[in-house]
Amino acid sequence: MTDSADRSLPSWASSDISETNEEALRALQTYKKKDADKVIVRFKAVGNAPIMKQNFFKITSSNRFQAVIQFLRKELGYKGSEPLHTYINLAFSPAPDDTVANLFKSFQTDNHLIVNYSTTTAWG
Amino acid sequence: MSTYGTTRHHHSPAANLTNRDRVTDYHTTLFRRLTWDGTVPLEIRVDPKELPANSDRNLECYFVQAPRVSYLPLLMPEIRRFFMDLVFDETAAKDLKDEEWWFETAEGTLVKWHWPIGLIYDNHTISASVKPSSSRSSTNVIPLRLILHLASPPNEKLLLSPSPDACKQAFMGQLKEADFIRWGSTKRMTGLRQQDQDGLWEGIKEHNFDDYWRVASKVTPTTAPTRAQSPIPPSSSASMVNRPPSADPGGPSERDGAYNVRSVPVRLYLPDGPVIQDLVPPMVDDNTPRTLSHYLTDHIPLLFPASPPAPPPSRTNPHPRPPPVPKPAYALVQGIMMPLETEMAWLGGCLAGADGWVNVCIGINP
Repeated sequence: MTDSADRSLPSWASSDISETNEEALRALQTYKKKDADKVIVRFKAVGNAPIMKQNFFKITSSNRFQAVIQFLRKELGYKGSEPLHTYINLAFSPAPDDTVANLFKSFQTDNHLIVNYSTTTAWG
Repeated sequence: MSTYGTTRHHHSPAANLTNRDRVTDYHTTLFRRLTWDGTVPLEIRVDPKELPANSDRNLECYFVQAPRVSYLPLLMPEIRRFFMDLVFDETAAKDLKDEEWWFETAEGTLVKWHWPIGLIYDNHTISASVKPSSSRSSTNVIPLRLILHLASPPNEKLLLSPSPDACKQAFMGQLKEADFIRWGSTKRMTGLRQQDQDGLWEGIKEHNFDDYWRVASKVTPTTAPTRAQSPIPPSSSASMVNRPPSADPGGPSERDGAYNVRSVPVRLYLPDGPVIQDLVPPMVDDNTPRTLSHYLTDHIPLLFPASPPAPPPSRTNPHPRPPPVPKPAYALVQGIMMPLETEMAWLGGCLAGADGWVNVCIGINP
């Protein structure tokens, strides 16, 4: 059987085929495990938004950003209907299902994730 | 179009620059066009338990070949028209509110409004690749079967409303996030006139390639074919403003080129989660372009192990090759199985979705 260096063995030629598949499924389980790690989120008020006494919080990194928004609402005592807009680095609003872990890795500054909040739409 | 892959060699530098620019434009435009024109088949049927009385059950299925770069909320008007006009009995359906309609896959996975349709499809493909009963056929493209529910949307999981406005906001947010990933700021996006920013979404709504790219080309980096000869190390990007365009062998577009971004906007989807996002610099340490192989080995080494090196040459084997390794998984971008030597920066310039993001979906080989 002649193969170029770039091609792996065709699946039917490998005697370990089902082993490879099982290993792959196990690998996926490893990657699915939720990180218990926490990262530092720093909340920064924008415009007339109320400033909190405490601005730095440790948040579990596997949380979705939606959970951060809800946490912030609770800290501010805002009900669900009161407008609250959140941004990362004063630049954009992330999708609510982006995880804190992913946002931290991509956008952290000085080892914390800056979340700006305002009561009016400041940026797109 | 005939300038692509030309073998003509012009000796005048000015003509060379023009030719190279045209080759760049053609190459990048070709792949962007292919991406834009990509579609996936959807098969939509209402949950039989929710069909209003007296519905025409012979027409219970709506088939649509949907653009990969579009969004379900934009398809809702035609879906609604089909069911309301042809399937549902008028009286029985009069109290239905389409803002309460929502989708699940046939396997029971909630479908998110803010995901591009191509991503919904590919995500389903990879999810199917880990199910024991699936007989994966790489040649057949089967429709994604969606169940349409007419009430009680699980809002805490959907996270967004299905309104086109919410969809537009989410889309613009993704474009800005991608802009920030590339350059560390969103000033290219926010520097667009409001009319232009709106034009991006209009291009999606009307599914018009020219309208969309008229604006998007101002913010999306292109790939220059000469970058391999003149890689620009990230540390000198600050001084690039001072380099006159004519000194760049790659042409004036290279300063903002795909290989000079801080990071490529990429997300990695594993079957049934998680989604992984991280900084992806376009070059690796030895100043060669980062490939899909580098990226995948970095983030999911159990599925994409590093290839062992070739054995040292010997008398009997003067040109040894690295031993073949079984590949437990594959990577899909825009529904296409990607060769692992694909460069990340190239993906960012040529195969990203309309929201600026390269979505890499990992499937498991049977």
